Amino acid sequence: MVLPPLLVVALFVGIPVVSGVLYTLGHFGGLNSVIASIGLHQHPADHWWGTLAAYREVLTSDTFLRSLTVTVEVTLASVVAVFALGLAVALYARMSGGRTARLVTALAVTPLFLPAVIGSYAILTFYAGDGALTTMAHALGWSSAPRLSYTTWGVIVGQVWTNLPFAVLVLTSGLAAVPDALIEAARDAGARPAQVVLRVLLPMTSVPAVITATFTTIAVLGSFTVPYLVGPTAPTMLGVQLANAFQSFNQPQQSLVTAVVVFALASVVGVAYVRSNVRETRRAASVTR
Amino acid sequence: MPIRTLDRSLAASPRPTRLPRSTRPARSAAALLCAAALTMAASACSSSSSSSTSVGGAAAHHLTAYVSGDTNIQKLWEDIVVPAFEKANPGYQVKVVFSAHGTADATTLAKLQAAAKTGRDPGYDLMESSVTLNAATAGLLTKVSAKNVPGLKDVDSALLGPVANSAVPYRGSSVVLAYDATKVKTPPKTYDGLISWIKANPGKFAYNSPASGGSGGSFVETTLDRHLDATTLKTFQDGYDASLESKWDPGFKELKALNKDVYGKGVYPNGNQAVLDLLAKGQIELAPVWSDQYLSGIQNHTLNSGIKFTQISDPTFTGGASYLGILKSSKKQTAALKLADFFLQAEQQDAIVKQLGAYPVIPASELPAATAARFNGVDVGNLRAGYSGQTSSDMNNLWQQKVPGQ
Repeated sequence: MVLPPLLVVALFVGIPVVSGVLYTLGHFGGLNSVIASIGLHQHPADHWWGTLAAYREVLTSDTFLRSLTVTVEVTLASVVAVFALGLAVALYARMSGGRTARLVTALAVTPLFLPAVIGSYAILTFYAGDGALTTMAHALGWSSAPRLSYTTWGVIVGQVWTNLPFAVLVLTSGLAAVPDALIEAARDAGARPAQVVLRVLLPMTSVPAVITATFTTIAVLGSFTVPYLVGPTAPTMLGVQLANAFQSFNQPQQSLVTAVVVFALASVVGVAYVRSNVRETRRAASVTR
Repeated sequence: MPIRTLDRSLAASPRPTRLPRSTRPARSAAALLCAAALTMAASACSSSSSSSTSVGGAAAHHLTAYVSGDTNIQKLWEDIVVPAFEKANPGYQVKVVFSAHGTADATTLAKLQAAAKTGRDPGYDLMESSVTLNAATAGLLTKVSAKNVPGLKDVDSALLGPVANSAVPYRGSSVVLAYDATKVKTPPKTYDGLISWIKANPGKFAYNSPASGGSGGSFVETTLDRHLDATTLKTFQDGYDASLESKWDPGFKELKALNKDVYGKGVYPNGNQAVLDLLAKGQIELAPVWSDQYLSGIQNHTLNSGIKFTQISDPTFTGGASYLGILKSSKKQTAALKLADFFLQAEQQDAIVKQLGAYPVIPASELPAATAARFNGVDVGNLRAGYSGQTSSDMNNLWQQKVPGQ
């Protein structure tokens, strides 16, 4: 029963990935012949297994290293911000549960229903030199208010904007799964709200927390729309860098090398996610036994 | 338009054939696989049958053109030139496959390349898109000259250089210097004048990154060209030689030095339109823009009438043509060449000028006087050629490495 889906995945994901990696190693035949006939500055294989020349060229280039640094920085900052904000909203909703809490949650989830392109453009105009924020600051007498459009700070704002809804949804449902009885028992035993959060709610939502952190990391690492529209011309995040290499610089091999690097970074995070899931499954199994 | 989505190509794929649903799940999964296989087989059949009927008879006069661009290009093809062509040539039919903002350009180019490699019918006879240049340099297009496209005898032969004589230039535009006349009383007249203006008015000039649009690309090219000897420049315009690219270094150094004086201390917006928006909103006062985008901006009132334009000299900004390519592997060469030639007739050129604010590629003297008057003061007959497709790709890459954020 599992065979047909496996075949489909192998056909539509596995083969392109393998052929893409072979292309980065300089194998230009077969499925790669079309793209290889168009690209510039390609490095053909010189060993039976290929060559690492394309990797060497990309990984040692200044532009790539700057992109990598800024990608890691933006990812860390965005994940911390998304996680903190998402947790704050979810905890507020769980602890107070009133109309305001529902409104705040709904507001935090709203960006889910707006395409990232529209959101990014809105952010770009809102924080532009003639945008709402600087205009207000100017009216209040602060004439040198910073402009977030076309800066890395603007990219971080955009990342928080697009990734917050997912974090709020996962964390809210994780917190909702904690039985009321546990919270009430803790309160009966004299726990203050802070203690309820630290001792009961947070320990019981470790899996949703890991899911939020890992998925947000992967989403930010591979993002294109927000950094392309809101970000500075240089340094760009890796997503923009690889799209540029493919479309504007006509260097598909270098573009794929960058893609492999993004994939490698994302899989490090993926391992953390899988391990936490396995641990949770084991624990659940030992509890039921 | 650099943001590409796969939706379009997925939406275009054939719908799977519906098979009666089996009651047992194992069977239905197998049925699904069969359905997928059948669909693939069926689409293979249909494509081979269409290619076999395409030669000879009335079908030889049925052309398919791949066109990409903005809605103004779609209107030009679907509402103006194609109806006129079909009326003037009874029996001919042209099907226009339009891709808005070129979202399908990359996949189409790959498809054409694959069709050429495997010797199959590419499905298109003509193409007009930003990738026509790439198709021409990749050898996918038929060579053209006044012999097979008579209208080319009136067209400046230099325009055929960038495409290796493999595509028909049919409309032109050049980059001009747009300025906010309410603030800039005496706009610069020369390149040197422009540079000293930028330095004297920090933050009031912008150009888009060359990878994101030709108007910024033209400013970059113009700066680089000032340091090149005539032979190198010719190589960059007509061909490709990566070993000569170190000659760009002095130009890139100059551009890097401008970082602190351009808009936002080194912000290079994405796309031609983004620069026009800054100009329209009064954020900047001077910028290189495409002539046709400027003219249609004035027509649609997205630019107010206080925005004027001028051409600089010594050197001028580059300009170029948009090209119409005839696919080498198309089996309807005669009909396709006929359509390409039709675009060069005076009435069509007149319509192109009126509809798009583009330059004609035939001498202005052949057009109605009112049309020619639109270019009062602008030399449309002499477009300074830009770099070839491959050279521009490298220039974009090196600019990105050497100029912004440095």
